[in-house]
Order: sequence, then structure tokens, then C-alpha cells
Amino acid sequence: MEKVCVLGAGSTKYGKLDDSITDITIQASVAAIESAGIDPKEIDAGYISNVFGVADKQVHLGPVIMSNLGISEKPSLSIESACGSGSVSFREAFANVAAGFYDAVLVTGVEKVTHTGTEWTTTYFSYCSDFFYEGGAGASFPGLFASMARAYLTEFKATEEDFAMVAVKNHANGFLNPKAHLRKKITIDDVMKSAVVASPLKLYDCCPFSDGASSVIICNEKFAKAHSKNYVEVIGSGRGGSPATLQGREHMTTIPSTKLAAQAAYKMAGITPKDVDFAEVHDCFTIAEIVDTEDLGFFEKGQGVQAIREGRTSLNSEISINPSGGLKSKGHPIGATGVGQVVEAFEQLTGKAGDRAVKDAHIGLTHNFGATGASCAVHLFKSV
Amino acid sequence: MSNKQEFIDAVNSGKVLTRKCAKCGNLHLATVYFCQQCGHKEFENKLLDGTGAVATYTIITVPPAGFEKYTPYAWVVMKIDNYDLRISGFLGGIASPSQLPIGSKVKIIGYDDRGIILEKQ
Repeated sequence: MEKVCVLGAGSTKYGKLDDSITDITIQASVAAIESAGIDPKEIDAGYISNVFGVADKQVHLGPVIMSNLGISEKPSLSIESACGSGSVSFREAFANVAAGFYDAVLVTGVEKVTHTGTEWTTTYFSYCSDFFYEGGAGASFPGLFASMARAYLTEFKATEEDFAMVAVKNHANGFLNPKAHLRKKITIDDVMKSAVVASPLKLYDCCPFSDGASSVIICNEKFAKAHSKNYVEVIGSGRGGSPATLQGREHMTTIPSTKLAAQAAYKMAGITPKDVDFAEVHDCFTIAEIVDTEDLGFFEKGQGVQAIREGRTSLNSEISINPSGGLKSKGHPIGATGVGQVVEAFEQLTGKAGDRAVKDAHIGLTHNFGATGASCAVHLFKSV
Repeated sequence: MSNKQEFIDAVNSGKVLTRKCAKCGNLHLATVYFCQQCGHKEFENKLLDGTGAVATYTIITVPPAGFEKYTPYAWVVMKIDNYDLRISGFLGGIASPSQLPIGSKVKIIGYDDRGIILEKQ
């Protein structure tokens, strides 16, 4: 298996963007190509992750992007795996480079939905659930995670204020990120007083609907060494699945696919959770970050709330969780999010993270899932 | 072949149609085609009473399209009495968590454009 490296990375700002889905996909891709310092002709294939291209009248994005990059002859494909599309696409690109099929590939994720309004997005996002049992019975995505939150509150010594602390922390990190969607500091009181969306989750427990695109160039080690001294190694890649419904799970306070993906990634890398300096985790809702940090092995089950209370997951503490601001503050353009996490890992490990830099960071983890964690990918990165 | 209609017919009579693996005995909701535990594909149907207790739930105040007129309402995961199986559905007329503590007894009463419909026992 070839060693796989991230050679360059770029993102648009996340938020409400005026440019079209095609334009922002190109903007991020060009930024990644320039960051990598390569000629587009050196790209062997393009992996584009996106869920609701139909909302901005453009599906089959791959050939459109490749044509705009002057490499229309190169193969491309689109990958949809709900909110986990970006990391799943990254994984497929990783596997093809590792297997030796390609030397260098473009991995770009994108979403453009904010122009459709809250009802459209709430409704269409609910199609990512097993619709017969969940979306079709009135369960929105906030509602599904709220059901996990209710179970967590019942099972462990946790409060809604504990959940609010996740939002406060991630907004503090996102405040330092010029690309973040919600770039403002908030208080526990702000969260507690925000409107209830799906009890017990309130508006500020939820990530925003965002537009945005993120892109990375990944390649084998020989290609990386020939182009740069400042690249990042992908040392672990893992995937897993969970029952598509919450009802299919014995426990509502854990996500099986996260555990499976993390175990596979740690095993490939030959490391343990203790070796990780920072992690970009899937905090679509505050409860999700708490569950994630437990399932990824950073804390025992039920101890994630204690960790957030004690500030052990803040920037430059015991383990920096979501230094970018996470989905909660940086934003969640669902097809781009998993790739955006890799952009953050690249910037952190190559000294490009600015004010939000994790000090002495050598190993970073990215964790991204689709729906309530029905699909999941975890990746591990190391500085060279 | 789709057995969804058979499943819905059972729900409309307050029952849950399950499939019991002919090889290992594992029980699944009827919408499964291979045994999750052993991979076997032969099952015998087993009708369970659609009664149980709330395993977890939420109260939706920002609904997806089509649910505006029912808001607020609960979406519930119910543990089926006497079996290690859960099923989820819509439960109307709930505005406050105090109305539906975890463990509350609920039952299936039918299926319509709101999906599987539950009510408090």
C-alpha cells in the first residue's frame, strides 16, 4: 500500500454565499491546487462530494469542475453519503491512491442550500434518515439528535447547560477562524434562552445550514516529496456503519459506526486515542460532540460532559476538540464538511492555522458521519 | 416483492409484524430480508402486540413540511413489551416533557401520512 499524503488544501468561507454551487466548487478546488503547487494536468482524477446539487440546479458536478480546471479528459465522480459525504469521498480517494491506481487526486466537497430557506432544508435533510420510520413520521434531524440528548440526560448525570458549553467552546474557537459561518462568541445563557427547536435541543445547540466548498489534493509519498516539504501524512483511515434508524440501536447514547471507524483508523496508524493532539469531530448538534468524544475513545462513556465542564476539550487544553469551530460555529455545508475537516487538519499540521493553532500538534483526527451516524469515516493525520 | 404493505396492515390493527430467523431465532422488524445476526434468509412471521414504553423521544417545535398543523408533537422510540425490539413513530398532542417521561406506556394505533402513529396507553 502506498503512503498517502495531503499536499494542499483550500476552502471558501462557510456561510450564506451568493456564488453558484459550480463557482464555489471551482474556487475551493483552485485554492487547493495553488496550495499544493501543482499543475492541474498532474491530477489523475476528481472526487466531488455533494448532497443537494439539485437545489442549485447542478448535479453531475465532476465533469463540470474538471472542465473548468482544464482537465476535462480526467475521470471524476460524485459521492453522496448525507452529512458524511466529504469524509466518505476522501476515503475512496485515499483508497485509490493507496492502491496505486492514481498518483494525485482532487477531493472537493460542496453544498449550496441556504437560498432554499429553513423549511426546504429541514424537509430535504430529513430524507437522509430512514424515511419510513423517521423523516416520514415527523422526525427532523434536530429531533433525532434531541432523542439521543434526551436519552443521555436520562442515563447520565448531565444537564442541558452541559450541552450548551459545547456550543460556547466551539463558538470561541470559530471566532478565531476567518472562514467560519457564525463568527461570534456566545454564552451559556444565550444558548439556554434560544428558541427550542426539538426538545431538549435549542437553536444554539444546532449547527447552521451553510453554503461552502472545501478541497484537498492528496497523493502518494513520492509525488508529495517531489513537490513540497510541507505536506501531511494520512496515517489512518477507517469506516463503519450503524443501523440506519435509532430504533435499530440498543443504546441511544453511542454511535456504533464511530467506534468501528475509529478502531480501524487507530489500528492502521498503530496509535491510541491518547496520541491525538486535536480532533475535528462531527458536532452537528452539541450532544453529538459529547457522544463523539466518548465513542472516539477520548473519554469513558458518560464522562464526555465532565470533560466539557472541566474545559479539557478547549483549544490548547488536554485535547483540542474542534479547533476550527466545528460544524457548530464554522458551519455545516453538508457535502463539504468532511473535506473541510481535512483542510483544518492540514492547516493545523503545517503551521497555517493562525490564531486557532493547536500548539505542538503532531497528530490530528477527523471524524464525520452521515445522518445519525449510519455511515462514518475517521482519518488520522501526522505532520512530517 | 415488498412486504411493506403487510407491515402497514399489521400496524393498522395495532400490531408489529416481525420476522423470526428460522435458523438462529433473532427477531427483526418485518422490513428486513436477511438475518442481521446470522445472514439466513428464511423467516417465520411473528405478530407482536404494539404496546411498549418510551425508550426516548423529542418534542418537535420546528417541523418538516406537512407536519406544521400538528406542531408541537412528539416523535418517539418505543421499546416493545417483552421483546428486545424498538419501533418509532409519531405521537401527537405533546407540548412538554412532563407529559411524556421516559418509560411512559404507549401503543401503536395506526398508520397514515404521519407515519406510524402512537398514543399514550
